[in-house]
Amino acid sequence: MDSNLFPEGHERCSLGRFLAWIVFLGLFLGFGGYAAFVILSQGLVVTGLDNYFGFGLWITFDLAVIALGAGAFFSGFLKYILKIDQLKHIINLAVIVGFICYSGAMLVLTLDIGQPIRAWFGYWHPNVHSMLTEVIFCITLYCLVLVIEFVPIILEQKQLNKIPFIHHLAHNLHVNMALFAGIGAFLSTFHQGSLGGMYGVLFGRPYAFREGFFIWPWTFFLFVLSAVGSGPAFTMLVATFMEVLTGKKLVEYKVKTLMAKIAGSMLCLYMFFKIIDTWYWATSYLPSVGLTFDQMFYQTIYGKWLMWSELGLCGVLPAIMMITPAIRNRPALLYTAAILDCIGITINRYVFTVQTIAFPALPFDKWVTYTPNWAEWAPAGLIVAYGFVVLSLSYRYLPVFPQEKALNAK
Amino acid sequence: MGLDRRAFVQLAVGGVVGTLFTPIPWKLADDAAIWSQNWPWIAKVTKGEIAFKNAISKFCPSGCAVSVRTVEGAPTLVQGSKDNPLSQGGVCPACAAGAQLLYSPARVKGPMKKTQAGFEPITWDEALTTLSAKLSAVKGKDGKVAMVSGDQTGTTSEVFSAFVAALGSQDFYLMPSEGQVAGKAWSIMGGTGKVGFDLKNADFVLLVGADAFESWGPMVRNKKTFGSKRPVGQPNQATYVYAGPVRNRTAAVCDQYVPVPADSLTAFALGLAAQLVQAGKSIDTADFADFKAMLGNFSADKVEKLSGVKAAVLADLAKKLASAKAPLVIAGSPFGQGEGAATFIAGAAVNLLLGQVNKPGGMKVFADFAPVVKGAATAKKLTEASFADYLSKVEKGKASPEVLLVYEANPAYGLPQAEAMSKVMEKIPFVVSFSTFLDETAQKAQLILPNPHPLERLDDLATPYGYSRAAYLVSLPVIKPVADAKPTPDLILGLAAKLGLDLGFSTYQDVLKAKTEAVGASWGDVSKGKLFASDVTKDVSGLNLATAVLAKAAIPNRDPAYPLALAPLAQLNVGTSALATAPQALVTIRDTELLGNDMFVQVCAETAKANGLSQGAKVKLTSSQGECVARVNVSETVMPGTVAAPLGFGRTAWDKFTRGKGDNLSKVLALSPEPGTNVSVWSDTRVKIAKI
Amino acid sequence: MEKQEFKIKWGMVIDLDKCTGCGACMVSCQVENNIAPQQDASNKLRTLTWMNVFEMNNGQAFPDHEIAYLPRPCMQCGSPACVPVCPVVATDKNEEGGIVSQIYPRCIGCRYCMGACPYHARYFNWDDPVFPAGMEKTLSPNTSARPRGVVEKCSFCHTRWGRAKERARKEGVDTMDMPQEWYQTACTTACPGGVIQFGDVNNPKHSVYELVRSKYAFRLLERLGLDPQVWYVSKREWVRMLGDNYLESEKAKKHA
Repeated sequence: MDSNLFPEGHERCSLGRFLAWIVFLGLFLGFGGYAAFVILSQGLVVTGLDNYFGFGLWITFDLAVIALGAGAFFSGFLKYILKIDQLKHIINLAVIVGFICYSGAMLVLTLDIGQPIRAWFGYWHPNVHSMLTEVIFCITLYCLVLVIEFVPIILEQKQLNKIPFIHHLAHNLHVNMALFAGIGAFLSTFHQGSLGGMYGVLFGRPYAFREGFFIWPWTFFLFVLSAVGSGPAFTMLVATFMEVLTGKKLVEYKVKTLMAKIAGSMLCLYMFFKIIDTWYWATSYLPSVGLTFDQMFYQTIYGKWLMWSELGLCGVLPAIMMITPAIRNRPALLYTAAILDCIGITINRYVFTVQTIAFPALPFDKWVTYTPNWAEWAPAGLIVAYGFVVLSLSYRYLPVFPQEKALNAK
Repeated sequence: MGLDRRAFVQLAVGGVVGTLFTPIPWKLADDAAIWSQNWPWIAKVTKGEIAFKNAISKFCPSGCAVSVRTVEGAPTLVQGSKDNPLSQGGVCPACAAGAQLLYSPARVKGPMKKTQAGFEPITWDEALTTLSAKLSAVKGKDGKVAMVSGDQTGTTSEVFSAFVAALGSQDFYLMPSEGQVAGKAWSIMGGTGKVGFDLKNADFVLLVGADAFESWGPMVRNKKTFGSKRPVGQPNQATYVYAGPVRNRTAAVCDQYVPVPADSLTAFALGLAAQLVQAGKSIDTADFADFKAMLGNFSADKVEKLSGVKAAVLADLAKKLASAKAPLVIAGSPFGQGEGAATFIAGAAVNLLLGQVNKPGGMKVFADFAPVVKGAATAKKLTEASFADYLSKVEKGKASPEVLLVYEANPAYGLPQAEAMSKVMEKIPFVVSFSTFLDETAQKAQLILPNPHPLERLDDLATPYGYSRAAYLVSLPVIKPVADAKPTPDLILGLAAKLGLDLGFSTYQDVLKAKTEAVGASWGDVSKGKLFASDVTKDVSGLNLATAVLAKAAIPNRDPAYPLALAPLAQLNVGTSALATAPQALVTIRDTELLGNDMFVQVCAETAKANGLSQGAKVKLTSSQGECVARVNVSETVMPGTVAAPLGFGRTAWDKFTRGKGDNLSKVLALSPEPGTNVSVWSDTRVKIAKI
Repeated sequence: MEKQEFKIKWGMVIDLDKCTGCGACMVSCQVENNIAPQQDASNKLRTLTWMNVFEMNNGQAFPDHEIAYLPRPCMQCGSPACVPVCPVVATDKNEEGGIVSQIYPRCIGCRYCMGACPYHARYFNWDDPVFPAGMEKTLSPNTSARPRGVVEKCSFCHTRWGRAKERARKEGVDTMDMPQEWYQTACTTACPGGVIQFGDVNNPKHSVYELVRSKYAFRLLERLGLDPQVWYVSKREWVRMLGDNYLESEKAKKHA
């Protein structure tokens, strides 16, 4: 029925099936929307957050999706600035995934702050010393950049593109894309770094505090590296997941291995510095404030297994797997490595957000644990569902994958 | 239509800039933010003239001399009165929340009578007519009207006791208190007047049971004194030792803590006396020889067997007491009530042995103020009348009052064996509560005639127990009653006139003016918050040491069916029997004391292990008289073999801030007659603990 | 951040050897700062206690188990961890006096400052303040009631400082050199034990001037470098040792 709207020469499932899928996603959207309404009308008292855990699931979620969304800026940077042409086959997807991650994160942030009506104070009364100010500026601006990058993909929709004005507009945007990619790379590098800096500057929180270079704590650089070390892998995984869902080949395997190679290389670099950083923190910084490495961990919930998983199983291991051609050329191993990589970065964002504030700095204070409740999970679910909706619509109606036609030619 | 690159850039930039110059989004954002800063449902603060007024706040048993900050006449903060020696600017945690209690949801808004459907508001006319009809029916009949008051320090007791007496009854009682037992004990020793303790000039203070910084005596003054004797960063000017079953709040700051079971406090004090006598100390009383002989049963070794206090520790303490310049022993209850007379007597004996009576830093004896209301009970009589004993008589049918009047007291909740006591009260056909708040007793009453909140009424305070001098203070109302309440003493005086009884006064103000004059103070001074205090002491010759009482009462009696000693904790932030936790004080209760609706009892790891208990376990405490439920908190502050438990929880009336939280420990407290004196004692209650 | 010294530095000295944990300071703080009572105040992760009394112990079993109570207001740090992180300048370190103030109408409620503070001195207003009917008439004139969604904290009752300065101007007294008792926090005056002393630690006429220099004085988590303006005093070594984190080797050295 809506086949006129499909990208040129592509086949899509029936409208009924598509609508059923959207309705299914709508359940999550509805539940998340209900939670958002409850939160906005009654306040954060309905969440599982508390005096000890001002940050929780949402901030972890935001940081994780922003890191995983880094495929957009980094692929853009590589394609448009460093001119790695092969990436054109996946750059559209990278942009869409980036857009979903950033816009989703911003939505959650709106819920997360106690006075959403004053959210704009971040621009009007900025504190230039705060890493969070940098984050607010860079994230919102970069989100705008992603919108600008997303718009031409939308404008290339078959029917829209028939309108000469839109056709020209899309063309002009394309011509200027290198400029936006450049701005995006700059903004994104900074806010990925600032997100890390947010924790590194907390000199009252020994779990997170790091020294650094000039005004930037080491976590600033580590967060940038970890984002580019996982973002491309995530984009690649999304492409693969869409292939599973649609039953079609969307991206050449060669492109995927290229993404993995990029992620793997960056992850190697990241792990190298991360291990040095951790070592220095554990053996030099912590003793200097009278603390030991062991004291940083508590039971299972904040146990050492998190750190070993992050650094070993989900850090060094996938890094090696992705830079080793023999391994990354085998799909099952490639995807495994990419998944581990994404998990590792998520653990990193989690421990920096939650374990940092769980550790009782006062010797007479005690560890307190945190469990998010439904009011926090539901909006997170909403964002995931929203991501699926955007991806589904994009895939159905927009020319996202340039190689799809060729790869699926019968 | 062609769109070249320049046109595109122009369009984009123009569009963005154009939007920015539209005032609408900016105005909206700004208005919304301003609205968020002035939400109409957020309470607004009153601004206006600020003033400070002195007053008396009687939410704690001793009463706090306070300075109330008012804004446009409305009390907003209760602080200690700076120039008053009783408070020196400090305030107890119960009185600190006093201004806000004016609007406690538990306040009785006006007179009410009980109907089948519950309480029903009535007019003061109807209330007074009903009451005076009831009273005139029993007027002149012996024992048909009784009254109990929780006001330990006020002249209200004179008005009430005289009124009850004029009605033909002798049944006026004060709620049990530390001062009451001390007074009784002092009488047994043949003493007259009132006893106080000169903490200020003492350089070595031994607290035997007495929880001086929480529930014993004028807590604020005690703490201020302690503080002043221990200047920051400099050598201490006084040493403090606490002996008792729990390293409680008082013990936490003392230099030494000596674990002594609650039932062995007397033996412990006698052990000290024995050491001192051995060292050659003596007392000039006729029965000293008997006393000395009796102390043979309290040698260090024997005391160790009775109380577990190491002989060396006892000897060392005795030595320290003997060598101090101004030693002072204060013996009392670890929770402000329920101790027998013997403990006080043993403590007084040690002070006598140390020569520390009417000396700086010692035990002080001074004359009580004479009553001014015709027919009022003497202070001595008030110490001898026990309301718990009276209710036992009612239970047994030996007394059958028709009317019970209850003032500032909550016997249905706060007496030992609370559940049984509360049932006995149901036997009394007509109970009238004058409570400011809807407490458990008011809820049982047939008639509630609310008394004004302490800041709304004329009140006075005469020598709180423990203070070293005879002292007097008057308090004028800070604010008009914010509820439809009438001052009870005035009401009673009015009723007396109506019933044709002559008490000699028609208003309470006249009573207090007469009292002020009798005390020798100036109305102008005491009513402005200036404490009148007299240093005149009273001769103490002709005392006896009540040897026979001590010999019997000092030996603990431990029923093996109840293997654990109970150590109640009276903490003012939790409240008192007459005051459920103030809303603003709720945050001060730890989550190891109350979590959700569960209160905690405290046992040390050894006791927990011996009884198979673990942290958080739900348990039932059972004594011979009652039971209560709680959770276990393992705390090394409690002696092995003892379970510490908080008083003040388990409210069934009051408001949402307190109702249903925890259980009422008073139900578990078991009365027993003290051998030798027959004083009802419940500080030695024993319990068993079982997981549920 | 660079540190600059100003003439007045408000400081608090709390004598832990006197505190019995009675809670009068907390109650007065609740009252003076218009903190609405909560029906369930036992969930300490949701209560608002600008002044909070911690209980600490020496870790021994009965009868050697000693306890101490530690009242914890905001430390008003010389190098606050919370101030530089605020994205909207809703909190700042006042120049004169050094009080770390919180501007409630500016705060967006991001809670980054709470995460930054190792003392847990900052609280988030989880719910709108609701006072029992009529109780709003007893609100203190010194603090506004905060709406939900903002972070709040102890301010050393700084409005009282403003009132003291007003008085000084009226009486012709130097506002930079006022008698100590003219400006006292609610917790300080309430304390029945005289545990808390408050004044200008730079003013030799104020009692705190000497006290902060006592060999028994220490501050919480000094090693983290927040430079608190609240000092604690204790003659008990185990109490002082609990004021900061020490390695076993350092503890051994201190004991030796």
